[in-house]
Amino acid sequence: MTDPGTTHTAWNPTAAPAIKLDRVSKRYWKIEERSLLRSLTPFGGPNRRLLWAIQNVDLEVATGETVGIIGRNGAGKTTLLRMLAGVSQPTEGSLTIRGRIAPLLSVGVGFHPEMTGRENVVVNGLLLGLTKSQVKARFDEIVAFAGLGDFVDTPVKFYSSGMFMRLGFSVAVNVDPDVLLVDEVLAVGDVAFQLRCLNRMRDLQRSGTTILFVSHALHAVHLLCPRTILLEQGRVAFDGPTESAIAHFHRLLQSDDESYDAGVRILHQELLRADGTPAGNVEQGQPLTYSMSVRFDRPIDGPGVNFRVVGEDGTLAYSMQTVIGERWRAYQAGDEATVRVAFRPRLGGGGSFHVSVDVTDRLTTVLATAPNGPAFYVPPLYGVGGPADLEASIAIDGENRTDFRWARLEDVAPSAQAPQGSPPQGRQ
Amino acid sequence: MRSDASAADPTPVLRLDHRPATLGNWLGGLWRFRGVLIALARKDFQVRYKRATLGVLWSVALPLLQSIVLVFIFSRVGGFGSGHSFSYAGFVLAGMVPWVFVSTSIIASTTSIVDASGLTDKVWFPRAILALVPPCANLLLLATATAILLVELPLVGVTPNVRLLLLVPAAALAVLFASSVGLVLAALYVYFRDLKFMVAAVILVWLYVTPIVYPASALGSAGRWLDLNPLTGIVGLFQTAAVGAPGPSARAVVVSLGSTAVLMVAAAAIHRRYDRLFVDLL
Repeated sequence: MTDPGTTHTAWNPTAAPAIKLDRVSKRYWKIEERSLLRSLTPFGGPNRRLLWAIQNVDLEVATGETVGIIGRNGAGKTTLLRMLAGVSQPTEGSLTIRGRIAPLLSVGVGFHPEMTGRENVVVNGLLLGLTKSQVKARFDEIVAFAGLGDFVDTPVKFYSSGMFMRLGFSVAVNVDPDVLLVDEVLAVGDVAFQLRCLNRMRDLQRSGTTILFVSHALHAVHLLCPRTILLEQGRVAFDGPTESAIAHFHRLLQSDDESYDAGVRILHQELLRADGTPAGNVEQGQPLTYSMSVRFDRPIDGPGVNFRVVGEDGTLAYSMQTVIGERWRAYQAGDEATVRVAFRPRLGGGGSFHVSVDVTDRLTTVLATAPNGPAFYVPPLYGVGGPADLEASIAIDGENRTDFRWARLEDVAPSAQAPQGSPPQGRQ
Repeated sequence: MRSDASAADPTPVLRLDHRPATLGNWLGGLWRFRGVLIALARKDFQVRYKRATLGVLWSVALPLLQSIVLVFIFSRVGGFGSGHSFSYAGFVLAGMVPWVFVSTSIIASTTSIVDASGLTDKVWFPRAILALVPPCANLLLLATATAILLVELPLVGVTPNVRLLLLVPAAALAVLFASSVGLVLAALYVYFRDLKFMVAAVILVWLYVTPIVYPASALGSAGRWLDLNPLTGIVGLFQTAAVGAPGPSARAVVVSLGSTAVLMVAAAAIHRRYDRLFVDLL
């Protein structure tokens, strides 16, 4: 993670933590009706309700670390981020944040609808702690990244939600924050922009920016964050490696399947070989088809699927997902859909694996999950260890010494991009 | 609650717990974000008159029309117009300048924090900035109205003289008063949404219990009760400066100064405590 070419402090676990929360709790008074008369009544009348949105959260994030925050709606993710942004104050406990904070909460940094893009960039830069000249120096970069073009002098109230969002993200990442707080940014914008966002966040990661990343898009969390916190009812339910956090989350969603009804049901799943027989013991690289039928009990606009292959110990071997954000088709209540995933298990050291899928809405909120789908066993590729097949070749003084009896892969998967005939020559 | 940066370490450090901000931190925050205040005030002003050809002139023309109507009614029907040692028309025109500034600023400030919820729930800056935007944006309006007043005075037969310098402290007091009322009301409005209508009602009555369209002396001995109205002193200073009307009583000026000071202290206390809690109710 060290990058001496940048001015930022590189990741250094011994330095003072960038973020430290000490038994932080946040209480809201939920009041259904608020009027002068009622608030003058002693004890506020009967319709005041306490709500602990965050309870006793201890958290330490080292400078330069990237931490994901996942959890169900209402688990306290946004409340936590608001406190870290300094927008809201804890009811109990204390928190400390070192460095300039760039919050990117919901859509945009916070824009004045009547102001033009240009004016909003300036005001936002000031709000994020830059001086006027610093904003001017970064202005072109911000506008270019957002891809605003001629709209830069148009009031932002005329912007599309995508432009709005792009500008917000662009400002936040271009002010060189020490701490970037990101809440569900990948929910909006087209795929190209989402990729640019992810890449930009990786750049910031490399240059030592501390990032907290809240998202329902679990694959994005997995991509960006080595460590993830699972929040449940305002408490930290898990804090550790992202894979385990996601596994915990799935168990959580599954455990109260009765109470949690998102209106989508997975009816049937199977994993078949090309000849239609059920997959059990399969070969490396053998084409397999996973299929699943889904019923929608309520209208779902633009559903998506997360597909994962998970090892016996819960480690993620592979994941792929559908395009985020597009209303590509509107399903009505009662409709059924069939999902087919064609894949080739090229799983290095082999072993037992199973399929794990989620059905999501357009914005990747998980609506139904089947974490323990059909299982299969793949024998190890000769000489290969670990879940991946990187097709490594090892040469000593120019002499290829790779133990490449893996070549039997071609026998079953001729279309796999492996050299034909005598393979080693092409790969030194 | 502390948020500061020491000189040795340029990294800003934000510390938050349940305690209110210290006075120094709160004021420091206001100073640090003054650029935001200026930018928002400028925009507020531009947006208001954006599409109107005559622009800011409207903001002065309407109160002017109102003054003329009031002068006409109160001098012809109410009989206030005659028997003064000063120009009655000039008296009303001068009184309307601080009145329009204070009343429009207060009305806009009251809803300012709630109206900006799209900004406040995403990034922190002292919320007091929002309540200060309307009085700041109205500064130009106050200056324009004063300039027009100076043009009108000769037209109603008043010879300008050195008394006019009194307009400067009078205007300063009007700005401070409107700002402190706005800061308090903006905070209260987050919690009591009835306040908007109560403010509108009070403003409606306030015009007539302030000696703007009539001199306090016209009420006889009852006139001294008007001294309890903090606007009496402010408006009186404007009228004295413009047309040489008998000055507001010392008591009225003390009430104006005192209420401004009390409201300032209250505003600081409320905002230090609730600055980062407003957002929970937006």
